[in-house]
Formats: sequence, structure tokens, C-alpha cells
Amino acid sequence: MNTNKVQFLLNNKICELINPDPNQTLLNFIRTKLKKTGTKEGCAEGGCGACTVVVGELNNDQIVYKSINSCITFVTFLHGKQLLVVEDLINQDGSHHPVQQAMVRFHGSQCGFCTPGFVMSLFSMYKNHNSYNSDLIKDTISGNLCRCTGYRPIVDAAKSLNKVDFKDNFSKNKKKTVKILKKINSKNLSIINKDKKYFSPSTISELKKIIIRNPKSQFLNGGTDLSLIVTKERKDINTIINLKSIKELDFIKTNNNYIEVGSTTSLIKFENFILKYYPDFNSILKRYGSVQVRNVGSIGGNIATASPIGDTSPILLSLNAEIIIQSKVNKKNIPISKFFKGYRKTILKTGEFIYSIKIPIYKKNIFKAYKISKRFDDDISSVCASFNLEIINKKIKKIAIAFGGMAEIPKRATNCEKILKNKNLSLINFENVNKSLEKDFKPIDDMRATKNYRIEVAKNLLTKCFLEIESNKLIRLN
Amino acid sequence: MIKEEYINNIIPHDSAYKHVDGSAEYTDDIIEPEQTLFGAIGWSKKAHAIIKKIDLKDVRLSEGVVSVFTYLDIPGKNDVGPVFDGDPIFAKKKVEFYGQPLFAVAATSIELARKAVLKAKINYKELRPIVTIKDSLEKKQTHFKVRKIKKGNALKKILKSENYLKGNFTTGSQEHFYLEGQSAFAIPKEDNNLLVYSSTQHPSEAQQLIAKMLKQKSNSITVLVRRIGGGFGGKETNFMTAAICSLLAFKTKRPVKLRLDRDDDIILTGKRHEFYSEYEVGFDNQGLINGLKLKLASNCGMSPDLSYAINERALLHIDNAYHLSDIEIENHLCKTNISTSTAFRGFGGNQGMMSIENIIDNISRHLNKDPSEIRKVNFYKNNTKNITHYGMKIEDNVIGDIFEKLIKSSDYKKRYAEVKKFNKKNKYKKKGIAITPVKFGISFTTLHLNQAGALVHIYTDGSIYLNHGGIEMGQGTHTKIAQLVSHSLGLSFEKVKISSTNTSKVPNTSASAASSTTDLNGAAALNAVNKIKNNLETFIKSKYKIFYNKEPIYKDEQIIFGNRTFNFFKIIKEAYLNRVSLSSTGFYKTPKIKFNKENFLGRPFLYFCYGASVSEVTIDTLTGENIVDRVDILHDAGKPINPALEIGQIEGGFIQGQGWLTIEEVKWKANGQITTFSPSTYKIPAVSDMPKKFNVEIYKDGKNKEKVVNKAKTTGEPPLMLAMSVFYAIKDAIASVENYKKIPSINAPATPEKILMSIKNLTKN
Repeated sequence: MNTNKVQFLLNNKICELINPDPNQTLLNFIRTKLKKTGTKEGCAEGGCGACTVVVGELNNDQIVYKSINSCITFVTFLHGKQLLVVEDLINQDGSHHPVQQAMVRFHGSQCGFCTPGFVMSLFSMYKNHNSYNSDLIKDTISGNLCRCTGYRPIVDAAKSLNKVDFKDNFSKNKKKTVKILKKINSKNLSIINKDKKYFSPSTISELKKIIIRNPKSQFLNGGTDLSLIVTKERKDINTIINLKSIKELDFIKTNNNYIEVGSTTSLIKFENFILKYYPDFNSILKRYGSVQVRNVGSIGGNIATASPIGDTSPILLSLNAEIIIQSKVNKKNIPISKFFKGYRKTILKTGEFIYSIKIPIYKKNIFKAYKISKRFDDDISSVCASFNLEIINKKIKKIAIAFGGMAEIPKRATNCEKILKNKNLSLINFENVNKSLEKDFKPIDDMRATKNYRIEVAKNLLTKCFLEIESNKLIRLN
Repeated sequence: MIKEEYINNIIPHDSAYKHVDGSAEYTDDIIEPEQTLFGAIGWSKKAHAIIKKIDLKDVRLSEGVVSVFTYLDIPGKNDVGPVFDGDPIFAKKKVEFYGQPLFAVAATSIELARKAVLKAKINYKELRPIVTIKDSLEKKQTHFKVRKIKKGNALKKILKSENYLKGNFTTGSQEHFYLEGQSAFAIPKEDNNLLVYSSTQHPSEAQQLIAKMLKQKSNSITVLVRRIGGGFGGKETNFMTAAICSLLAFKTKRPVKLRLDRDDDIILTGKRHEFYSEYEVGFDNQGLINGLKLKLASNCGMSPDLSYAINERALLHIDNAYHLSDIEIENHLCKTNISTSTAFRGFGGNQGMMSIENIIDNISRHLNKDPSEIRKVNFYKNNTKNITHYGMKIEDNVIGDIFEKLIKSSDYKKRYAEVKKFNKKNKYKKKGIAITPVKFGISFTTLHLNQAGALVHIYTDGSIYLNHGGIEMGQGTHTKIAQLVSHSLGLSFEKVKISSTNTSKVPNTSASAASSTTDLNGAAALNAVNKIKNNLETFIKSKYKIFYNKEPIYKDEQIIFGNRTFNFFKIIKEAYLNRVSLSSTGFYKTPKIKFNKENFLGRPFLYFCYGASVSEVTIDTLTGENIVDRVDILHDAGKPINPALEIGQIEGGFIQGQGWLTIEEVKWKANGQITTFSPSTYKIPAVSDMPKKFNVEIYKDGKNKEKVVNKAKTTGEPPLMLAMSVFYAIKDAIASVENYKKIPSINAPATPEKILMSIKNLTKN
């Protein structure tokens, strides 16, 4: 069954939007239609967190509260969900939520403009966890910028939540909320608003039909990148097909030899899963972007945008991952090294989409990945490096090295690999390949780094990788 | 009953609850009347060019567009330069920076307005742009004449010294990145009057410039500001948004909102001045500076804006806390084709201080001594060596005491040794530690700006209405001034209503800047309160026949004349019925200050703020990545009005300074196009940049020697410069790579890239 009504819970009231503009951002909707101006626009690109709101989603009979950047989310995202904005945290008697009270008590606001965003990020943390340590707090607000406080009072406010031991109103109303969410959460969206269309199929077979009818459509697989066409380039996206509504694409399967991740799997879900296999993969995903971005951004989306600085690609390259591409007629497996064609170009043909990613499990190998950026939190890599080595008796049997930020596409360092293969594990060997890195890569100067620095760091990361293997210790600052 | 004293006490920011629940209203949050239009600015895509043709046909035809305006539509003056002209609202024939406004549209929605401006077709004849300080110095493109300052005979002293060093140093620009971008909302009223809501630190100047633009009198324009979402100097001038918004409203006769999106905000508005210095210094074997020659050049951008005053403050802070007996400085104000550089917390003072700190650091490395010792050797002393290079006697010097106390409390000496030990054992991780002082002068260096006004009413129910010229931008000035007022009247804080800054209530105000907002406006508010108190006391004394020569006490809602006590609220009602005025304006001007700009002599500051910080960092020698392990701060806030708010300023200022000196990097292409104009390309500190250990204390013996409200000292700008220790700790860590035998060369900001390259250069030679 299709519907042209976006149905969602506005706090605890059911709301319906009939054929809304599919290019309207959630932030714009909140501020201009709901006339709730507590949620702010700071950057319109998901980089400052001032627009953070929380959406409640059903997971079995639990509500998961996800913080998201409303500035880079389209309003259609709300379908079947609960929307909570900062004003909704006030209790009916006018008293404030524990998160809000903590922020006041610890002087967590100065100019106050970023504050609603911080409150909502902390609210989602408060709802989804039972205790809050420093790492969790920092991760929670790593995508919220504050220019006044220097963060210390906000972190202290968050820590103080460990001492709050009563149920807030959202816990008290949980049963009721779950019931309504179940009621509204069912139909596929099919929206037509003037010359713009939006579809959210729930199965792959429905998706295929929509693709045939709308060959020029854009896939939405999280949208943290796609939405910038509207918010930054100020262009329209005429037809959007949401992949995120397809349950078949949101999965993680594993056996002894590989992990298969469905295309729409959120980065946050995937990072938690991958931790026990490849810890460095996990730590880089945490730095890939803020919680708000990782909550909606997907692994398939990150690969399909083919950005030279997307952090998952170099890692998947060094792990010899395969992309499973679904077309109208069949599925095919492509090694990820053949997937990228050029700057933001892939081999995907019209109508094709990523079904899943298959990542081999190397039980005996050493896997290391590094991300170098100006800022630790939520920054784009100057260089991202990933190493996958099989070492037997101090000899390098197999090696895969990949870099991001060093070329117009994420790329393997094939010359380096060739030289190092079958060599002994020694510093000299690692330093000797430095020159061949310059053959592998001709990086560019841009606002993030110069080409000299990129080359220099890439060489040093080779050294670092060796040093870490040799000493069996990590040489890291964090 | 009042249980708490409302002064010298921690109470939350007056808007804290409104911040956390979203009800605090900013300019863009004001609900628009139905007819409201939305503006967008069309701007130059070239940094230096003649406009050959400007075709706006497609803009006019774009969906939702109501009107399009250029410089031809401005009835009055086409310039919003604050002190000097040079900032055209819309360019006429020539553009001088990438982002210079050319035209604006008013449309039915903000999206349609922004889409429309992209449809302009403009033909340029490109001219060669000047972007860097170096290029500007070579081409002799400056805004003012070279300024030269001389005290003693630097050259002679340098030649006679046992040691000599020369070098150069750069500190980078910085984007304000206030979270609330530039925005304005203008509503036309009868008689061509305009009511303008503006996110500005300087409503009076906005009012005057809008009036001049419209060829009207100032009394026809009212500017209102309840609060702004951060300013940091970036809203002290930058009047183009308010002016263009007002023009659109005036022309269309409809309310207009204009809000720059983040990209436009960064591209169109000015930033902190990049400073370049060349020095020659002579010093003895103890590190005492005998003579210093300095060339100081700053990138001022396309117009003068506040650059003269900013460079002047750099010159006035070239000493930081050090006595410089013989110096010679020349100062170049470079004119370039970038957006006009402007005020930013520190206002040149920080750039001047970084120059001397770099010299001091190099001297210590040259002599192979602990830099903290060299700093102490050069400090101003209390009875001798207490005259600055501009002839002001320092009467409130506490830097020695603060420095000693901090060295102890931070365990500096022990940690200094431990850092060296750590570095001997580690090759790829190196630690560094540094302690730096701050001395920062308080007052506007332009005399007439050191004045303020206030307006206080007491209504018949005893509630207080407070208005003054200061802008609330997060620093809590409204809270602190309300505390002063409530304390003075013996009432609880809640009895005082804080209101929007409003040019029709308090006229001719100065910008909320120079760290002086609470000092000036608080004193003006108290002056108003005292006048009302005078009226009340005269009335009480005459009505109740009280002969009491001392000042009565206002406490716990009572007015106490020795053994006679009056309930505040009853007596207010009574005073009203007896026709006593319960409203007053207040005024204040800073005493003592006087500065001769020609011979660079006088007393430009009422007092100085002092502070010091110790930072310890770890760097990764393979990547240049770094982490701030620990920071200890001891800062003089005098007798603070509200310690929680002062701590907030100290910590926030520190982190902002840390950003300036480490990760914040503004970049321009050779053609003048800025490439760092969004949070994805320009990184301000995030939560992980906070020092792992952060010990911040207010100097307990602090007390302002001058007559300043509550004997407090401001904490606005000075804490930003506490972050200098982070930079010198990084430099210390780099020096360890060559076992402290060579002086590293590194400019600010010390990004991972600069750190790695500095290490590479150090080990290469």
C-alpha cells in the first residue's frame, strides 16, 4: 500500500503532511511550518550541530532515540517516526528535563545559540544509555560546536546525569508512544509535489519497479551528502528514491570467512559490529563524523558517493572487500578496487545500486588504519591510510595498502605493495619503499593540507605501521 | 526574604533556562508579519576586478523575487565603514574582494531569494589581486602611513649586547565562527521610520549608518538587540547585513529579514588580522632584553575598518608583561584584496604579545635556559622598571605573584624535568611544556568611546526595569549588571527586569567591545540607580524628619537609616503618591585615561588584567598530530561579580585562543578566493580539543585598584591570550626532537602539518 501522507508523531501528537515538498529540510519545516524556533541553523551542512533534533524509532518494542542534523535531513524522513525538538523536553508543568537542568546548573550555555543542539544530543545519550563516561560524552557531542564555553561545563553537565535516578516523562509515556508508533508505521511513501517526486519502497522488487518508471532519480541512502545539493548548491533534486526504507538492505551477516553488510546499514550500527574484527576500523568510523551523521549515514552511501576522502573506502580497499551490485536483472560481485572510476565517479550504471559489501575476515593478518586530520573530532582526512598484512616468520607474505586523500579516488599503493611483498619485516625495508609512494600517488594542495605534507605523512604512516607491528604496541595519541 | 547575596555570587546566566529550552529569541527567531520578504545578497566572484557589465534580468524574473537593488537605489551614502570610509554597501565599478556585495534581492521566501541571486550574469575585467602581506609590502600597498615608535636607542643597545638574534614570525587569521550568523530584520514604520532588529555588538553605529544610507536622521531609525549568538568582535562593525536589510525594507515598504548563510557569512565578512613580524634583539647572558627592533605588518584586507586601532593595540601590547627599555617599531597596515580584517577578541593585543613571546622563547632556547626564567627576568617590576614603552606607569602589577603561585600550584618545575625525561625515552611521541603570562590593558584606546549610558525605572510595585547600552553576547553582561543593580537596591535578582538594548532608550552607545561592557555600562546603571536613590532618600528624610548623615543601607528589601527602617515596596508606593521621580538615566565616563596618538605617549588604559597559564602537550613526530594533556590557569578577575560567568569567559577564551594558535587556518588562493568557508573546511575546536586536565582558578588576591564596579576586573578578552602557552609547549616539544640544541621555526597556527614540517626542517639542517 502506498501513501502520499508523511505520518509522524510530533512529540505525542500524530501529524500528517500530504505531498510535502521532498526537498524541504526538516529544519526548515520545524522553524517555518511548526514555528518552533528553538532549533537553530548554524551551517546547513551538518557540521555544527546547532540544528540537532531527536527522532524516536521503533526497534521491536523499544524506542531508540537518534540525534540527527535536521538541516541535512528531508522532512520525509519523519515518516513513521517520533520527532522531538528542544521545546518538547519541557514538562507540562513548565519544569525542565534533567538534561536541561544539568546544563543550567553547570553553566553550560553562554550565548545560547548552540545550546538547543547540545541539549538534544545529550538527551539522546541520556535516553539510550544507563551510564555516561567521558568517552561516551565526548562522542555524543563531537558534532556539536560551541564557540563560547570551551566545552568543560557541558561535559560536566553530562557527567552529572549519572546521578539522576528518576524516570522522565518519555519513559513514563513509553507504552503509549510505542503503541502509536506501531499504528502509523506501515505504508510506502509515494509523493508528488509539482515537478518533484519522492518514493520510499519497502522491498527490492518494489524498488526495481520504481527505478524503471523513474530512471533519472537519485538514491537517498542517508542523505548527509546528497542533501547538500539543496542546502549548499541551492538546486532541486527532482526525484528521490529512499533506499533506507528497504529492510532487506539493512543487515549484517557473518560466517567464518566474511562479513556481509547491507548497503543501508547505518555507520553507527556497523562500527559497533566491526569492533571485534578490526578495532582500527571502529575507531576511524567514530572519527568519520558526528553521531548525528553516523546515525543516518550508511556504509553503502559512503562508498557510492566515491569521495576521495570517504574514510571507509581505503579501509575496504586494503581488506579486499567486494561490492555486490544489484541491477534490474541480477547481482554481481565487483572487487572494490574496480569500483571507483574517477573523482566522485563509480562504475554504477543508471538503475544499479549497491546491495551489500562483503568484507573478508583475516584472522591471522595484521590490520591497521590511521586517520590524519587537523581536528580530532568530525573532520575530513588529510590522509587516511589502511594496512593489511599477512606475516609469517617475520616475512611479509601478503600486503595490501590503501590511502584516501592522496589521489582523486581512494587507491591502493600498488608499487609499495610489490616491493614489500616477500620482504623481511624491517624498518629499512619500510623506509625504502618511501620513494615508491611518490610513484603511487601525486596528491594535491588544498585547504586541508599541502601535497608535501600528504606525501610526508603517508611515508611516515608506513614507518608507524612497521613500528607498531614490531613493538606490538600502538603509537597513538588517543 | 533574600537568602543570598546577589553580588560576588554564582548565579546562572539570566537566560540560561531560555537557552536550554529554546525560548531565548535571536533575530531570526522573531515571528514575521504576513507581508515579510526575505533578502539575499549577490556578491563578486572576483577579488579584484572592474565590473564591465552586470545583467540582473534573470534575477528579477526568478520565482518569488519582488525587487532587486544595486548601489543606484541607495538614497544616501553608499558606505558602512565605521571610522573611515571604504566599505561600500554595494560595489559600483570596481570590486576589491571575493565576496563583495554587488546587489540584493527581496523575495517571498529565503530559499527563493538565495536561488535568485545565483542567476546574475556579471562580466569582469580582472585586475591582479594582492592577497598576502609580503605582496602588499613589496607593492607598498598600505592603508595608512607607516607608523614608527621609538623609545631609547634600540640599535645602540643591540650592538652593545652580549647576544643577538634575529628572525621573523607570523600569526594567522581567524574566523569568528559565532554560531549565530549575521542577521537582521527591518520593519518599516510611519514617517519612513525603521525598526531594525540586528545581530550586532554596536546598535548605535548601525543606527547612524543606516540613517546616512537612507539620507535620514538618526532619530528615524531604532535598532533593537535582545541578545546575539556570539560576537567575538565579528559583529562590532560588519554593518552590511543590517544596512542591506534596511534598504530592502525601506524600498519595498515591507518587513524584510536578511540572514547570511554560513558560507556567505564567512566569505563576505572580515576576520582576524594575520600579523607578520621581523625582529632584531640584543640581550645579556641572563636573557634580559636590552634592545629590540621590530617590524610589524598586518593584513588589513580591502578597507581600513578598525585596522588602525587594532594595530595600535598590537603596538601597545608588544611588551606583554615585559619591560622594554629601548625599542624601535615600525608598523605597516597592508591593504589587500580580501574581506576587510576586523575586530576579534584580543584586538591586535594578542598578535603583539605573540611576537614578543616568540622572541622570549627564542632567547631562552639560544641560552639553553628554562623559558620561565627568561620571562621572569624581563617582567615589569613594582618600583623600578614600571614604565611602559608608551610612558604609562604600571601601578597594579601582580604578574610576578601570579606567575610564582602558578608555578607552584601547577608543579611546573617538576613537570618541566619530567617532560625532558619522557623525551629522552621516546622518539615518536614528544612532550612539551610552557608557561606564559598575560598583561592586557583595559579601555578603548579611542578616548571618546569610553562612555556609557543607562536607563532605570522603578515601577510603583517596586519592580525594576533596567536598560543600558551593553550587548548580551554570551558573556553575561546583563546578568552581572542586574546583579549590581539589585545589590545596590537591596533586592533579589529576580526583581530586576533585563531588557533589549535599544537605541531609543539609551542613545549614542559604544560598541560592546574592548572587554569594557560591564565596567562602563554597569557604572552607568549604578549612576542611574544612585540618582533615584537620592530622590528617595531626600523624600524619606524630609517626610519622616530623619537627620542622618551617613548613606542608608539597602538590604533585604529594606532601606535602613540607622535605627529607622523602611520597607522598600511600601516606600516606593508612597514616593510615587508624593510625586517623586522613580526613573533616571545614568552616565559614566572612564576617568584618568589620556593618550597622545602622535607621540605615542600617555595613559591609554585605566587598568591591566593579568593571568598566566601552563600547558603541557604531546606531539606525534611522525604525523604532527598533537594533544593538550594538561592546562593550569591562574587569572586575575579582580573581585568578580559572578565567578561562574568569569570562569566561563576564562575557559572559553582559552579554547578560542587555542583554536587560533593550533587548528584554525584561514586559507586564500592566490587569486584571492577564500577556500575555508564552512565547518567542513574551517575547524574550530571541538570537545576533544579540550585539555585532558583543565585546572582553572581565579586569582584569590585579585582586586581592582581603580574605581571600577565591584572592584572587579573584566574577563572578556584577556583569557584568549592564556592559550599562548599551548603554542610554546608545542614548540618546546618540537625542540626536543633535536635535544633542545636548535631553535625550531614554526608559525601560528601550529597545525599538524606545520608541526611535522617544522620537525623536518629542524632535523634536516
